[in-house]
Amino acid sequence: MSDPTGTGTTTQRAVAAGAIDARKDYGEGDSAVHALSGVSVSFERARFTAIMGPSGSGKSTLMHCLAGLDRLDSGRVFIGETYLDSLDDAKLTALRRDTIGFVFQAFNLIPTLTAGENITLPMDLAGRKPDREWVDQVVRTVGLADRLEHRPSELSGGQQQRVAVARALSGSPEIIFADEPTGNLDSRSGAEILEFMRAAVDELEQTIVMVTHDPTAAAWADRVVFLVDGQIVDEIADPTAEAVLDYMKHLGD
Amino acid sequence: MLKVAFKDLMARKRRLITTGIAVILGIAFLTGTQVLGGVLNDSIDGLFGDIYSGYDAVVRSPEVQETDFGEFRPPLEAAVVEQVRTAEGVRAAYGVVEAATVSLVGADGKVTGSGFGPPTLVYNWIDDPIRPGVLTEGRGPEAPDELALDFKTAADAELEVGDTAEIVGQDETREFELVGLVGFGDEGTDIPGAKPVYFVDEVAQELAGAPGQYNYVAAGAEEGVTQEELASAVADVVPDQQVITGEEWIEQNADQLAQFVGILTTVVTVFGVIALVVASFIIYNTFSIIVAQRTKETALLRAIGAGRRQVVVATLAEAALVGVIASLLGLVGGTLLATAIKALIGSTFTVTGGIAWPTGSTLLLAFGVGIVVTSLSAVIPSIRASRVPPVAAMTEVAVDHTDLSIQRKVWGSLFLVAGIVCSALGLTSAVGNELVFVGVGLLCIMLSVAVILGPLLAGPASRALAWPLTARGSMTARLASENAARNPRRTAATAAALTIGVTLVVVIAVLATSIKSSVVEEVDGALGEVDLIVSAGQFSFLGVPPVVSEEAGQIDGITEVSPVKFGFLRLLDEYGIQQAKQDAASDPPDEDAASAGAIFGVGDDAPLGEDAIANGYEPSNFFDLVDLGDVVGDPQASPGAAIAARDEIAEERGWEVGDTIPVYFSATGEQDLTLVATYSDGLGPDDDFYLSNETLSTNAPPGFDIDFAVYIATEDDPGVRAAAQAELEQLTADRPDVVVQDRREFVESQTAFIDVFVAVIYGLLALAVIIALIGIANTLSLSVLERTREFGLLRAVGMSKRQLRWTVRTEAAIVAVFGTLLGMVVGIAFAVALAYAITADDPGLLQLRLPVVQLVVIMVLAALAGIFAAILPARRAARLDVLQAIATE
Ligand SMILES: Nc1ncnc2c1ncn2[C@@H]1O[C@H](COP(=O)(O)OP(=O)(O)OP(=O)(O)O)[C@@H](O)[C@H]1O
Ligand SMILES: [Mg+2]
Repeated sequence: MSDPTGTGTTTQRAVAAGAIDARKDYGEGDSAVHALSGVSVSFERARFTAIMGPSGSGKSTLMHCLAGLDRLDSGRVFIGETYLDSLDDAKLTALRRDTIGFVFQAFNLIPTLTAGENITLPMDLAGRKPDREWVDQVVRTVGLADRLEHRPSELSGGQQQRVAVARALSGSPEIIFADEPTGNLDSRSGAEILEFMRAAVDELEQTIVMVTHDPTAAAWADRVVFLVDGQIVDEIADPTAEAVLDYMKHLGD
Repeated sequence: MLKVAFKDLMARKRRLITTGIAVILGIAFLTGTQVLGGVLNDSIDGLFGDIYSGYDAVVRSPEVQETDFGEFRPPLEAAVVEQVRTAEGVRAAYGVVEAATVSLVGADGKVTGSGFGPPTLVYNWIDDPIRPGVLTEGRGPEAPDELALDFKTAADAELEVGDTAEIVGQDETREFELVGLVGFGDEGTDIPGAKPVYFVDEVAQELAGAPGQYNYVAAGAEEGVTQEELASAVADVVPDQQVITGEEWIEQNADQLAQFVGILTTVVTVFGVIALVVASFIIYNTFSIIVAQRTKETALLRAIGAGRRQVVVATLAEAALVGVIASLLGLVGGTLLATAIKALIGSTFTVTGGIAWPTGSTLLLAFGVGIVVTSLSAVIPSIRASRVPPVAAMTEVAVDHTDLSIQRKVWGSLFLVAGIVCSALGLTSAVGNELVFVGVGLLCIMLSVAVILGPLLAGPASRALAWPLTARGSMTARLASENAARNPRRTAATAAALTIGVTLVVVIAVLATSIKSSVVEEVDGALGEVDLIVSAGQFSFLGVPPVVSEEAGQIDGITEVSPVKFGFLRLLDEYGIQQAKQDAASDPPDEDAASAGAIFGVGDDAPLGEDAIANGYEPSNFFDLVDLGDVVGDPQASPGAAIAARDEIAEERGWEVGDTIPVYFSATGEQDLTLVATYSDGLGPDDDFYLSNETLSTNAPPGFDIDFAVYIATEDDPGVRAAAQAELEQLTADRPDVVVQDRREFVESQTAFIDVFVAVIYGLLALAVIIALIGIANTLSLSVLERTREFGLLRAVGMSKRQLRWTVRTEAAIVAVFGTLLGMVVGIAFAVALAYAITADDPGLLQLRLPVVQLVVIMVLAALAGIFAAILPARRAARLDVLQAIATE
């Protein structure tokens, strides 16, 4: 891995990405929705962070802004050393391609490309030669070696998500954003994906930020951040499903 | 339900327009030609009505010969005029000279009116209202060195009354003083469709080649005498001549021109129909995509109780509405087109400017065709829409099915077989109306290409076409080719529209190239020992001045001079009579009732026979100079009545060298010629008969005893030849329309007309191609919408806008090249079949040549055109908001 500081043991870790007083509104005047109202958060390198919160609390919005898919009204977001707010579309595109990995809840794959092609898509778009050894290792880890020639329509939902994760990993991005990656899966398939992401963090020193509604999924993370009405309200380190569930119940009150 | 369809339509006005454009263009062409045809026909009638308004009866010879250049009748003696004047009811009668045997030298020193355009006509000046034309300035010619012109021609030649005008006659160029200007219509402000030049009688007769004679006699009636009464009275005093009424005369003259206009409008209409066929593919495609995209909505409607019929009706209503709007816009376009063309040709023909208003029948045609074409094209998609099950509302739906149903395969195969059978029947001339069969056959083959062959090939072909790029690791090309391959039916239907245009372009290109190279080879081969050719402008009846044949022999280095005349004859041998009877039977002369009652005295009384064109030959050297293949017999025998024929023709007609062949000339009546020789190859492909120059001269109609060309052999030395050419040019210096060409120049000029013809057809086919490109753009726009999510994902994982644009453009290029390739294959196959059919009748007429360079250029242009067509859809795709795209359900 490219990260010299990510030893996995020190408590004072390098920051991979973050937001400083991020604000974003939808609509205007009285009817305006404050999707993000002053979020400051940072995500440490080689850690697995989960973002939780009620529906409409701004999780997706935050993630989109962090990933350079959307822009803030005010405040700043950064990936590594780079502040995204000043980048133009071309630079943002290159940044997404080269330093960020994505996993969405659904529709992650280009239906006309095979699983293998989908995995190397960002590198092909960049005109970069994929690191074959690394890609092979990723593919083997996700258990897709015999499925590379298949089209997405020939794969199960769980397999499709695994391909999406493999794509996110194969370019060795600095950070991976996953928006409810297991939302559409049964618990077993979901567990497989989570196990795999966990392994990527532990063994490959990846940085992963995941949005989820599922306390069990959040329990796979190193840290859970709670978002309510566009603000960070709390966080739990080394969460368990029970602790998260308890906290969520208490949030609901 | 209709309300839903209507709302949907209004919500997508842009799509309405792009879908409609195809129909709009087709309708515009169709109505434009209709409108223009009507306008031209009216103006032709009006034109002849103007010119001959003073004629109440016309006396002419009953001897007539039809030729490609119109009717020929021998002239009348001056004595006939006196006879006509004695008839009861005649106010005035004059002999009229009317002949196309001169040209005017224009301001640029070149001959005016040669080439395409109205002919220059010699008239004698008649000092009576009978005369065609009204004097608007000056006076009529009174002396042999004076003339009058129409004001437009004079203005074009920059001549004013008092100026000197140069007239090129058959023998020489003469100078005249312009003494008067003439116009047409009541006020003399109209422009005629010809350039009339008026001289005193003797000069006119001399220029027309018939001293002391007139082409016909025109008579005006006294007040209260009808045209019929006058014609009947005149017929009594000239029992040997044919007399017709003035009205009939105008009608017959107008008919000849109207036929030409008819052919013109038919040709353009054919291209309008082609455009509409292409348009129907596009409409079909658009509605298929719309229906597929609306699956969920339709299913919901069905779930809440809409019937299948309602779904069909709603879709068809939507199509019909598109048809109505497109027809309306097409009509506007057609009217503008006709108006523009009117303005354009107004200077050549007698057409006044202004808007060319469509007639009621044109309106009906536009709306009828527009609505029917759009609705019919939408029938299959609408049925498909009605098959959407209500449960589809609840389930994830595939966007478009890509499999080939059994139905499709059956229909496709049927179309293919029907197409091949139809074209085969047409090509082998097994049926009448060959062109219709070939056309329908081609259409069926195109349909089968669109219905089964195209979809089967679209996938593999798209990947293969993109291979040169994908092999080098281009992800955009890979995505583009997969996108083109994912909906083979859609890709095939989109490409098919282009295929039609390209097929026709390729057929024309291949045939034109083949014909051209055949002509070049044949002409060059047949020219034998000929080194220089002197000829006059192609459309003039002036011929090469006699001075060339008389004096060229004295020029240094010239060894042989062989003038060639030209003429018409009617073959009265048994075969010819048989042929004429057959023609008459298959095409009965539908002399309308009016003409039967309008002809007085003698009817047309030429004997029944087959009309033919003959070139002349100089018995002493022609057959030695040119290479006519195997020559049997002695061309120098009986020079005053000699005919030579191509050996195949002679065999077919049962002629042997030495036989007597009965023929008829309009000027001299029935004659006996001797078949003196046969040959295997004519100088040109249609040179079936040669008559000795003397034979043609003695039997030529007035003004037609001309040297059509003079073939010359020189010493075999380029310098000497060039000097001889220069001297010949010197010799013909006062005849600006005469050209002296060496062999190469001559051969090239013989094929120049093919290039012009091909250029015109390409221009018309461009319309079909443009419509097809609009179709590609339209399909692509819809596909882009459909793939919003996908594009969003691609952008999210790092595809740049540029790359996205290129993906869409590459897809368009692939579809375009695919369509073009199919068109090339079908086109080349068709051209080969056509060439085979042509050569089966007449071997050696055509050698198949593939214009490889041209075909490659067409390919490259197609790819570029595809990229061009994708500009807007690509921009649209690139503008997609990534987030919205991801959020789109
Ligand atoms: N394009 C938009 N236009 C207007 N409002 C929007 C838009 N996108 C999001 N919002 C609003 O912003 C707020 C935050 O939305 P966001 O999608 O970030 O929520 P979320 O936490 O991801 O919810 P969920 O758990 O349901 O995915 C919501 O109130 C939503 O209605
Ligand atoms: Mg969300």
